[in-house]
Formats: sequence, C-alpha cells, structure tokens
Amino acid sequence: MARDEVTEFDELYRTYRTRLHQYALSLTREREAAEDAVHDAFLGWVRQVASGRAPSQPAPYLYASVRNRCLDRLRRRPEVALEESHVELLAAPAGDEERIALQRSLNRLLLALPGEQREVVVLRTWHDMGFAAIAALQDIPVNTAIARYHYGLAKLRKELDKNE
Amino acid sequence: MNDERFERLLRGFELPEPDPRLDARVIAGAEEWLVRARTRGTVAGVARAVGEAFGFGYVNFLIDFVTETDAEYDVELA
Repeated sequence: MARDEVTEFDELYRTYRTRLHQYALSLTREREAAEDAVHDAFLGWVRQVASGRAPSQPAPYLYASVRNRCLDRLRRRPEVALEESHVELLAAPAGDEERIALQRSLNRLLLALPGEQREVVVLRTWHDMGFAAIAALQDIPVNTAIARYHYGLAKLRKELDKNE
Repeated sequence: MNDERFERLLRGFELPEPDPRLDARVIAGAEEWLVRARTRGTVAGVARAVGEAFGFGYVNFLIDFVTETDAEYDVELA
C-alpha cells in the first residue's frame, strides 16, 4: 500500500474525528450509534477514494454522511430518552470544579433541546459552520436555520439562568 | 448575559475526545480498503499487460473506449 494514501487518510481522520464524533453524539444521544456513524462515514469516504470517485471537498461529504447514518439509525430505533443518555457533548478541564459543574449543566440542557435546534447550535458553536452550510445540510431555508439557532440559544440561556 | 457573551461561554468548552478504540477501528478498516483497492489496481494492470503481450490489445482499447467515453444525453422537447 502506498504510504501517502494512508498518511492522507490519517490526516483527514485526525482533522475531523473529534468534530464528527461530537456531531454524531448530538444527533443520536448514544455513544455506540455515534461511533458506528463516524466509522461508516469514514469508510464510505475511503470507498469513494478507492473507486476514483472522491468528492472534491471532504467536509460536506463527511458531515452529510454522518447525518444520514444517524437519521437512518433514528428511523429504525427511536432516540434514546434523555434520562438514559450518558453522552458528553462538551469537555471541561480536569480539576476545575466550577467549570465541570457548568459543563454538566450545559450538557444536560443541550441534550434536552429539540433535535433540530440542538443540531444547529452544535454546528454553529463548535464547528464554525455558517448558516448557509447548516441550511444546506439540513435541507432547510437559511432563515429557518437562523431561527432554530436563536431559539435553541435562548432556551439554553433561560434554563441555565433558572438552574443557577 | 447577552447572546455574544453566552456564545463565548459555550465556545470556551472543548469537544470530548473519541474512544481510542474507534480510532483503531476506523484506521484498520481504511487500511484494509486501501490495500484491497491497490491489489485490484495491480491485478488489472497485470491483466492489461498480459493482454497486450498476447495480441489482445484491441480488447483493452474497447474497454477504455466504453468506460472512458462520456455519454451524451440529448433531450428533445416536443
């Protein structure tokens, strides 16, 4: 096997693994399902490359692939109930108790958001994705993506204020 | 807290690291696929060379002609 093919894939994987993993977790609220989606999306990419049909931009392909796989999973099996979900969408530095407590609250609140709002908040906040790209991914008008983001953010803030 | 400050607060959190077992699973699966693709490419190359050597170059030419010529679609609206 050519070393450069493996290195290229390794770089691609290192670039997107953390973000796609968090994105999948936010969609499924389940670790195993999220990991399967990320695994299958990357292997789907390799198959495309191996057959000479590599998409010109990896990011849109990988995000759409993870999303489709997660939605497909949710169609077959309903979303895990909030009380049964133990996934972490955020991480706080070890030892910083105040930050860890805030991270726990935010994590629960994020997981409790309606799926379509959670998705936009996650993509916009931690993936630096523009509203046009989010709208294209969700197949919705840009204004709907913006509205979902602001509703989601407002709900998070309100609930966090209530908790404090 | 206004929107901007709240957004900054959220962005201040890192993303969780995936399980190393996922990394191992993805890398191993990808390598397996890349090896398979390379082997397929090598076998196809050898088959071509053998075909040329035995005077069946026209078969390669026909295969290339069919697989590499773009199809043309012409739709006539009535």
